[in-house]
Amino acid sequence: MTDVIGARSVGARVLRSEDPRILTGKGVYIDDVVVPGMLHAAFLRSTVPHGRLLSLDVSEARELPGVVAVYTGADMASRSTAGIPGSAIGMNMMPGLNIPASYALATDKVRYVGDPIALVVAESRAVAEDALELIVEDIEMLEPVVTYADALDPSSPRIFEEFENNIAMTGEVAMGDIDAVFAKADRVISATVSVHRHQPVPMEGRGSIAEWNPGEEELTIHTSTQSPHLVRLLMSPQLGIPMENIRVISGDVGGGFGLKMGLFREDIALAVAAVDLARPVKWIEDRGEHLATAGQAREEMAEMEAAITADGVLLGLRMNVTLNAGAYPSDPFPGAMYVGSVSGSFQGPTKIEALAATSTSVFSNKSTYVAYRGPWATADFMRERLLDIIARELDLDPLDVRRRNYVHRDEPPLAMLSGQLFLGVTTQESIEQAARISGWDEFRVRQQAAREEGRYLGLGMASYLEAAPGPKNPNAPEGGGGGIMGDEVSHVSVEPDGSISIITQQHPHGQGHQTTLAQVASDELGVPFDAITVRYGDTQFTPFALVATGGSRAATMANGSVLHASRALREKIMTIAAELLEASPADLEINGGTISVAGTPSITLSLAELARVVAEEPDRLPEGVDRDLEGTAAYDGGMGGWSGGTHCCFVEVDIETGMVEIQRYVVVEDCGLPVNPAIVEGQVRGGVTQAIGAVLLEQSAYSDDGQFLAGTFMDYLMPTTTVVPNFEIHHLESVLLDPDVNFRGVGEGGMIVAPAAIVNAIEDALATLGVRVREQHLPPARILELLGTVPTA
Amino acid sequence: MTERAIRLTVNGVPREETTDVRVSLADFLREKLELTGTHLGCEHGVCGACTVLVDGEPVRSCLMLAVQAMGADVLTVEGVADGDTLHPLQQALMETHAFQCGFCTPGFVMSALALLRDDPGADEAAVREELSGNLCRCTGYQTIVEGVLLAGRRARDEGAVL
Repeated sequence: MTDVIGARSVGARVLRSEDPRILTGKGVYIDDVVVPGMLHAAFLRSTVPHGRLLSLDVSEARELPGVVAVYTGADMASRSTAGIPGSAIGMNMMPGLNIPASYALATDKVRYVGDPIALVVAESRAVAEDALELIVEDIEMLEPVVTYADALDPSSPRIFEEFENNIAMTGEVAMGDIDAVFAKADRVISATVSVHRHQPVPMEGRGSIAEWNPGEEELTIHTSTQSPHLVRLLMSPQLGIPMENIRVISGDVGGGFGLKMGLFREDIALAVAAVDLARPVKWIEDRGEHLATAGQAREEMAEMEAAITADGVLLGLRMNVTLNAGAYPSDPFPGAMYVGSVSGSFQGPTKIEALAATSTSVFSNKSTYVAYRGPWATADFMRERLLDIIARELDLDPLDVRRRNYVHRDEPPLAMLSGQLFLGVTTQESIEQAARISGWDEFRVRQQAAREEGRYLGLGMASYLEAAPGPKNPNAPEGGGGGIMGDEVSHVSVEPDGSISIITQQHPHGQGHQTTLAQVASDELGVPFDAITVRYGDTQFTPFALVATGGSRAATMANGSVLHASRALREKIMTIAAELLEASPADLEINGGTISVAGTPSITLSLAELARVVAEEPDRLPEGVDRDLEGTAAYDGGMGGWSGGTHCCFVEVDIETGMVEIQRYVVVEDCGLPVNPAIVEGQVRGGVTQAIGAVLLEQSAYSDDGQFLAGTFMDYLMPTTTVVPNFEIHHLESVLLDPDVNFRGVGEGGMIVAPAAIVNAIEDALATLGVRVREQHLPPARILELLGTVPTA
Repeated sequence: MTERAIRLTVNGVPREETTDVRVSLADFLREKLELTGTHLGCEHGVCGACTVLVDGEPVRSCLMLAVQAMGADVLTVEGVADGDTLHPLQQALMETHAFQCGFCTPGFVMSALALLRDDPGADEAAVREELSGNLCRCTGYQTIVEGVLLAGRRARDEGAVL
């Protein structure tokens, strides 16, 4: 079902090949996988935030009929090696980063509500859950460490006693001459802005099946992940099983958003049980476990001191950033390290001349801090909020402030303070287009008229620049550019029936790569879209990838890799076909999977016939041509380029109820050339929707004494059809930097910029009432506090 | 644990099974009947992923016990298409690029089917109101709403049978 522009599939709104499967219930997600002889697992979890585990009695649970085994922290200590998150990829060598070693189950202490204490394996999940009730744990409560202040207080108990305090990471960054910009500034503005803890919440939670083959000494992990190879890489040292003997299989994945990027402690516990019992063990987390324990994100605060000119130009700033990393670090990307990206990614498209920052991450008795769609989202929020704060302070139009602060293409500065080039940046174009489409100036008239009727309308703007993958610096071939996580490898091959297989290292979980990669190959090979199958998800045949799908990499890296692999394959096909058809390769073309000689339409060769000859009559092949009919490319990202754009959000705030209604939402997006605009727009809408949730609804709330308060969907509120508006999405004409590959990543863009656009709109609505917003979470109760209608809690 | 025999019709097929009385309809469909298209997203009745039709009405199968479906006519997402031919609602949802990861999808299909059978002329506000009991984390809903409206239009204008 191909909808083509001219003869090309790329650029068209091709219908997704995933959809017939998912619309009919034929997708295979982790809980749909059944392995013969499979047992079921449930975890006993701590109900207290911080305590010493004095004793654990599992004897009664072991006696329950149907229970096969119960494992404790002591069992983990004797059957596995404590994990040091990030150590498999050298993160533990990062200066200033403290990473504790932990077993899969608590041994001496519990460190957050949900900390796994014991694992029950039983004939059914229901029996396993029944057995949890029979375990008796004795926990001596310790003072909980919940807030930044708690963690920084030297008198607070240490969460990890191997460290001197509760500091998870410290760092400093100094770029440009910060003293000089403050010396020449007309004014200095200070603001402390915070982002609250919220979380990815894929609709499918976590889950795995661990399966041990004692004969082969091979462990198979079926799991819901974004990065199958990473799971085996990280499991290996803790289990003492060579990575080569760990196979990870992952089918349909019901969303990830960064959460499912690495290894979870639960997976180690399952594997230990599966090896010990020599039987497969399945664990599917429930939503309560997910919300409390799968991982949470954000919770950062930045004290900013901005050196500005009288006309609103941000010359530079000092910032002190603090991040609450929770208890156990995420493997392999410890949450504590994201504090560095708040300052490191702050600049965005601005022309700031200097930045000096300190960064501090703290441990707390909260759930693990994990990656969430755009780990640099907080940086964008800080910058775009600060620009509005400057505008309000100086009584300037936020649009004018952006005009003055954002870089103009091909004008100095040509590079960021970090050295990354501003090549092909279209931020200025995007703000102008967004302002035009939004009717920026006319809005002020409507806003004023509405105020006179007692209605409060607001319009907010925010822009971003994302290195997805970022431009390559031609003068520093090893620096910048696309391949920061390594080259992307794809294999494209002709099957015996003439159809095409693509093997990708991506692990799509909603991004539609089975569609987009086939679109790219279809154009390059001249093969119908329907004749192409994209295969992924089994480490036995997919190329190794540290990060499979994540970081907005696929657009450039995977599409580029498939494009070049397809070209390599096409060359092989043409060389063989030229011999078989007795023609010059230059005169051959492929259309609809059939090779023909230009100008002589009667002479044709189907790919199926070509594949048959290669398999059965190798003596007919020309000299020096491989018989594999496969093209492979290890793609480095080429010349790369920026993704970016501007969002405008229109709100109305009901000052009686504190409810915020998003009335209109405009996106002007530059992601290069979209392979499939419908899929690009889907990514944008999804990202903005998560931002709407973050600002208006969602919070991973903890009480002051460390109890988790958002363990159900009645407490952790997600955006629904009645909250989310229709979106107006406009694609900006892009500056193309690469001769072949100008598809750029768009997965994170919506989520990293929208929180600022929405909050800027809300402050704009209420500014005349004296409201100043310095945070991101603005549910009705908080709006009423800001309005002074109710006292601040 | 107490077992009970139950008889019901699922996707047009009469079934007789025994089940533990504490088993939810969702677990019964998924584990006993191996109809894994019905997904569990929260198991507390909020997300709507497990929605099936019981005697034509949308029901959260995580909140209903299997034994409560005694004698009922149950329709799950597996019973919506006609063999390899997508149901007009599924076809419309595909054409609008409605979904991404697909986990919430079966619940939306079933909720929307009940809505359209009830009122193929439902306008956008009505569709949004009716689907507000289903959570999707990927899409922002717009394309789902468009797909349901498209299916409704086709039912009205072209006589597509929902």
